[in-house]
Amino acid sequence: MLKKLGVSLCYLGVSLCNNLFFSACQRNDTTDARPMTFWCSNNGPEIAFTKEFADRWQRTRPDKPLRYQPIPEGQSSEEIILASVVGKTTPDIYANMWQGSVEMYAKAGVLVPLDTIPGFRAFITARCDSAVLREITSSDGHIYQVPWKVNPIMTLCNTNIVRPGTGEGPPYTYGRYLRAGEAVKQDRDSDGYVDRWLGYTEVKAIWYQRLFNFYPLYLAASNGAPLVQNNRAAFNNQHAIGVFRFLQELYRKNYFARERLSATRDPFLDGRIATQFTGPWQVSYLEKYKESGLAYNFYPMPVPDGHTGPTYTYGDPKNIVVFNTCRDPTTAWAFIKTLIDQPGDLRLLELTGQFPRRKQLDTDPFFTPFLQRNPRLKPFAEQTRYIKGVDNCEVIVEVFDIISQEYEACVIFNKKTPEAAIADAAKAVDVLLGG
Amino acid sequence: MKKLTPYLLASPYLLHFGLFVAFPVVFSVVLTFHDWNIIAPMRWVGLANYERVLKDRLFWQAILNTLRFLVVHIPLQIAVALLLAELLNRTIRGASFFRAAFFLPVIVSGVVVTILWQQLLGFNAGLINRVLVSLALPRVSWLDDPDVAMYSIALMATWKNVGLYVILFLVGLQSVPVAYYEAADLEGATEWQKFRHITLPIINPTIFTVVVLSTIGGFSLFIEPYIMTEGGPLNSTLSAVMYIYKQAFQYYHMGYSATLGFCFALIILFVVVIQKRYVEQENG
Repeated sequence: MLKKLGVSLCYLGVSLCNNLFFSACQRNDTTDARPMTFWCSNNGPEIAFTKEFADRWQRTRPDKPLRYQPIPEGQSSEEIILASVVGKTTPDIYANMWQGSVEMYAKAGVLVPLDTIPGFRAFITARCDSAVLREITSSDGHIYQVPWKVNPIMTLCNTNIVRPGTGEGPPYTYGRYLRAGEAVKQDRDSDGYVDRWLGYTEVKAIWYQRLFNFYPLYLAASNGAPLVQNNRAAFNNQHAIGVFRFLQELYRKNYFARERLSATRDPFLDGRIATQFTGPWQVSYLEKYKESGLAYNFYPMPVPDGHTGPTYTYGDPKNIVVFNTCRDPTTAWAFIKTLIDQPGDLRLLELTGQFPRRKQLDTDPFFTPFLQRNPRLKPFAEQTRYIKGVDNCEVIVEVFDIISQEYEACVIFNKKTPEAAIADAAKAVDVLLGG
Repeated sequence: MKKLTPYLLASPYLLHFGLFVAFPVVFSVVLTFHDWNIIAPMRWVGLANYERVLKDRLFWQAILNTLRFLVVHIPLQIAVALLLAELLNRTIRGASFFRAAFFLPVIVSGVVVTILWQQLLGFNAGLINRVLVSLALPRVSWLDDPDVAMYSIALMATWKNVGLYVILFLVGLQSVPVAYYEAADLEGATEWQKFRHITLPIINPTIFTVVVLSTIGGFSLFIEPYIMTEGGPLNSTLSAVMYIYKQAFQYYHMGYSATLGFCFALIILFVVVIQKRYVEQENG
């Protein structure tokens, strides 16, 4: 009996090994014929956009089959991409890569340097201005990403509550914004607690939340200065200190809510906050859920009093990359080009309301009819001239995390002066960068 | 073949143990001497990760936070569980219902419980603060005050887990011979004297089990602060496990995270050994 069991176990083991071995071989045998894979994000409008372009590609290039799919479900797309890199199951092309992640993958050697593909540089140079090209160039001098789409962060303002014409309306300087805070702050139910604020921005010390408060304000104040330059912290300056002081003031005077408002009904729609730092995705949301009578508009980020020059902001760039598991990068690039030429960019706008990262979008006659039909998006189109992504730094997430820790200590809890907080953050970043 | 049979029979377990226990442990020890971000090749760094642990202010703060949680959580858990078990041990109407009711939070998902408590503890809209306001008491920043947040989490964790320990104490209490109480009654002992001199010594092993289980459970504190506060405010609820997770899956410092895990395991071992010695001394 035992002998039989032993033989059966051996047989089971051998057949398992056989199956694993041969299935692996089989996969290799058929990979030559496999279609090129394209992963897009998993939001509805982008899937529709991808389907349209993938179908068109299939019709025009049946010799180069292409399969698209939304990125598999997970806690975050970054996590899924990392897992696929580790498991060597990356798609050929991935759209929606956060610009801050690219350097890490580039250094790990898992991305195709796109500037080695004939015609890439010429195409990109025609589409984007030199500042964008500088921003996307990796520390090794190659370009591993196609600048694709942006969602500029701007100030959304309930113009019924903060009325323009009183002298304290938008566009905001720090002084005007703070004075508006005094006017807006209210205890509506007379229970001794403020329940209407000028604004709300996430108080949690999570690094990516700084992309929607500290970072756009820093870019606005500094005309788009970097956080990291020459492998050193570059933000220990009056602009960053000024932003911390401004935000600290907003919380100290109770113009911004310290508590989390996200668990309740949308505070902007509810009239509990009058302004918000947000992106163009908010337009379709507001149009869908607003009650009649809500008047709103978008304005540039607040800037220091006496600020001169344009108002920059964070553009939340998402880019397209080609992984080195791709067997035919030239064809991959040929497909990508169809997504980012003028008609492709217009379709992106029409279907998703997200902005292509191309120069002079707001004055390009090709896009004018769309913007005339969608006036709510016009401020964002104008803002696309003055946007920045993040610095090409392998540890940019940790840089933001360090700033976030100091932000919490200084801005939210008033435990440090802005000067000390920024200096401490810069010191910690220098240590991190090996300085 | 006869000689091979025992090994063949044990092989599924050995395979499982080797793949999912032994290999990860050995690999994580090897990792502690490397810098590795998962996608790039491993780089030998010697003892650099251990040096960094010693200098890592945030790690030691996370350890202190965890200990702060334990100091509140364990006594509270034992006191509440023992009290409830003592009440349920008496012949009261609907005892089965209460036993089930106290045990219910244990089987509900930690994430669900955490989200529920997050709503209860909200500053403006939270039910607890609404009750306080209706009683003309001031609101409390349960989750947004660095001095209060960890205690709020300890309170919630106690509510979530107390049912399990109530069951353990019930088993312990039911093992106390009734004759001892009868003898004590004849001697005119008070309820407290009976509890102090009869119940407590007999259920001492149960108390030790509960302390060890709560300590290990408390050391693995993760879901509650991860969901409710993300480790804030001012890192006051950053637990050691959460920090290890953050290093591994937010920054992809696998080598450093493994080193933190290894050091943390040593700390847990040290605390449990001290607890064991203390209980052994108490038991003579």
